[in-house]
Amino acid sequence: MEHRRMLSPGRRAWLWLLCLPLLALAWLPVARAAKPFAEHKIVLQISDRDPFKQTLVLNVANNLIKHYGPDKVDIEIVAFGPGLRLLFADNSNAPRIDSLVQAAGVRFSACDNTFRAVTRKLGHPPKLNPHAHHVSAGVVRIIDLVNQGYLLIKP
Amino acid sequence: MNIRFRGWLCGMSFCILAPAVQAANWLMLQGAEPAGSAARAKVWGFIQPEYQYTQGTKLKAGPWKGQEAIFNQIGPDLKTSSQFNIRRARIGVRGAGFPLDTKTNYFILVEAGNNGITKPGGGTGSLKLTDASITLNYIKGARIRIGQFKYPGSEEGLMAIHVFDYINFTNVTNGVLLERFVKFDGNCKGSNCPANKPLGSVNAFRDIGVQVFDTFKVRDWEHSYAVMIGNGNGITRSDNNSNKDVYLYWSSEKVFGGKGPRRQGWKLFGWYQHGTRTLTLEQGDADPANDITRNFHRTRWGFGTTYRHGRYRAAAEYIKADGMIRNGTDGAAVPGALAKNGAVASINVAPDEQADGWYIDGGYKLLPALEIDARYDRFNRATKVSANERRFETFTLGAQYFFNKKTRVIFNYEFRNAEAPNLPGSAGPNKVLDTLDDRASLQLLAIF
Repeated sequence: MEHRRMLSPGRRAWLWLLCLPLLALAWLPVARAAKPFAEHKIVLQISDRDPFKQTLVLNVANNLIKHYGPDKVDIEIVAFGPGLRLLFADNSNAPRIDSLVQAAGVRFSACDNTFRAVTRKLGHPPKLNPHAHHVSAGVVRIIDLVNQGYLLIKP
Repeated sequence: MNIRFRGWLCGMSFCILAPAVQAANWLMLQGAEPAGSAARAKVWGFIQPEYQYTQGTKLKAGPWKGQEAIFNQIGPDLKTSSQFNIRRARIGVRGAGFPLDTKTNYFILVEAGNNGITKPGGGTGSLKLTDASITLNYIKGARIRIGQFKYPGSEEGLMAIHVFDYINFTNVTNGVLLERFVKFDGNCKGSNCPANKPLGSVNAFRDIGVQVFDTFKVRDWEHSYAVMIGNGNGITRSDNNSNKDVYLYWSSEKVFGGKGPRRQGWKLFGWYQHGTRTLTLEQGDADPANDITRNFHRTRWGFGTTYRHGRYRAAAEYIKADGMIRNGTDGAAVPGALAKNGAVASINVAPDEQADGWYIDGGYKLLPALEIDARYDRFNRATKVSANERRFETFTLGAQYFFNKKTRVIFNYEFRNAEAPNLPGSAGPNKVLDTLDDRASLQLLAIF
């Protein structure tokens, strides 16, 4: 008869205690996780209707990554108001967004207030870029990030 | 300089400069906005002041001997052989009226310069609408453009004029594609004949109609198609018959990089156009009751290639025309000029004739701000009846200096030659064509 080694109840409790933080981390979406070794934390705001600003905000993100390196800078781009168009699925900048997410872990947040307003105007919800994450309000997201030590830049 | 030597010189220059116009997607650049990032209204335009000069040699033979030769005069007024002119001055607005839905785009452009659009045949100048189109991007693979816009066709006509590397068009493009609309064939030669003046603007490579088109990317290749139906009666006016023109276009381009009108790539393209024109055939007398009004077929087709990579750019195109060939003016005189025998020079159209031509063009950037250009073009006009044939050859040397991305000055010197190849050198038409001068041009271009 095979003898199975059993953990004592005390050891089992310790093991659970050690695993809990890891399980909690696993619940967080990977893409939304801040970079633990980032020395610079930046939130970029895009809220202009000028299409040039879309290019500009992506250029700024790209330049920050080039300067500091992808592991040393944590960037989140928050889009609200007319700036939400940057995160429309068919936006001509979609390949650049994809590249910034895949290569440098840049995060994109879409304002839900604006999303609902656009839905009313269009008569249907706009299709968003798959990398965009809904936040209840773009400006609130910026305040939260600033309170967490992020530096706000509005190109 | 004789024709054979010019051909050799052109070939050599082409080899040295390497194989030119633009490698760009004109269907998309002129009317379609980038998805999700179009402006509600983007104001833009350009101005082209210029100076053109010929020696102004007078006609050496024919009934208008001693008078101005049309090809040595500067248009659109044809009153002098050298002049300063505002060739083009255009202002336009483009964008997506409702930026949340960039699938609907608009494009509107107005011409205020002094040229064949605003002042055809030297008439009264005025503002003219050159473009007014709406593009609907709702169906994948079948964008729809409706209104007045550039029809799909020859590279020289379809390309945006503010990135054209020369000042004047090639002979073949000017002869068979930049269409002038006249009422009569010009066969009435008497002093009582009606003036065969242009009915309106030149077509400016545009038509009013509907186009279905799109572009498909396959790895680093971009394939485009366009099918269009239009009035075939020029711009800013109604049709004059119930027959519509059909335009077909295809291009495949290997994209090397960059974007916009000076994108780097290698493009192959082909196009076809067919339509009907209504023309009144004069019977050689001044009695309009004897005139016959008929419809004539007008067919154009061509194919070519463009290349742009690094410091080099190159292009070549062959163009064939069947029907409605613009056949110069009587004795190469300025329309309306009175001959010693009492005849009045008229614009002529050969409705059943044919023509063909080609060009080869290269450019090399010596410095980031300085480009040198060379182009050879040939136009064989009225080739169906050998005695009618006229051959025009131009070898153009050019230089462009770029003050910045949107401002440049262009200098061109055109070595021009023409002959009636199937007639003896001593024949009247050859003596008249010997009058053709070279032409020098200087143009400043500023885009805003």
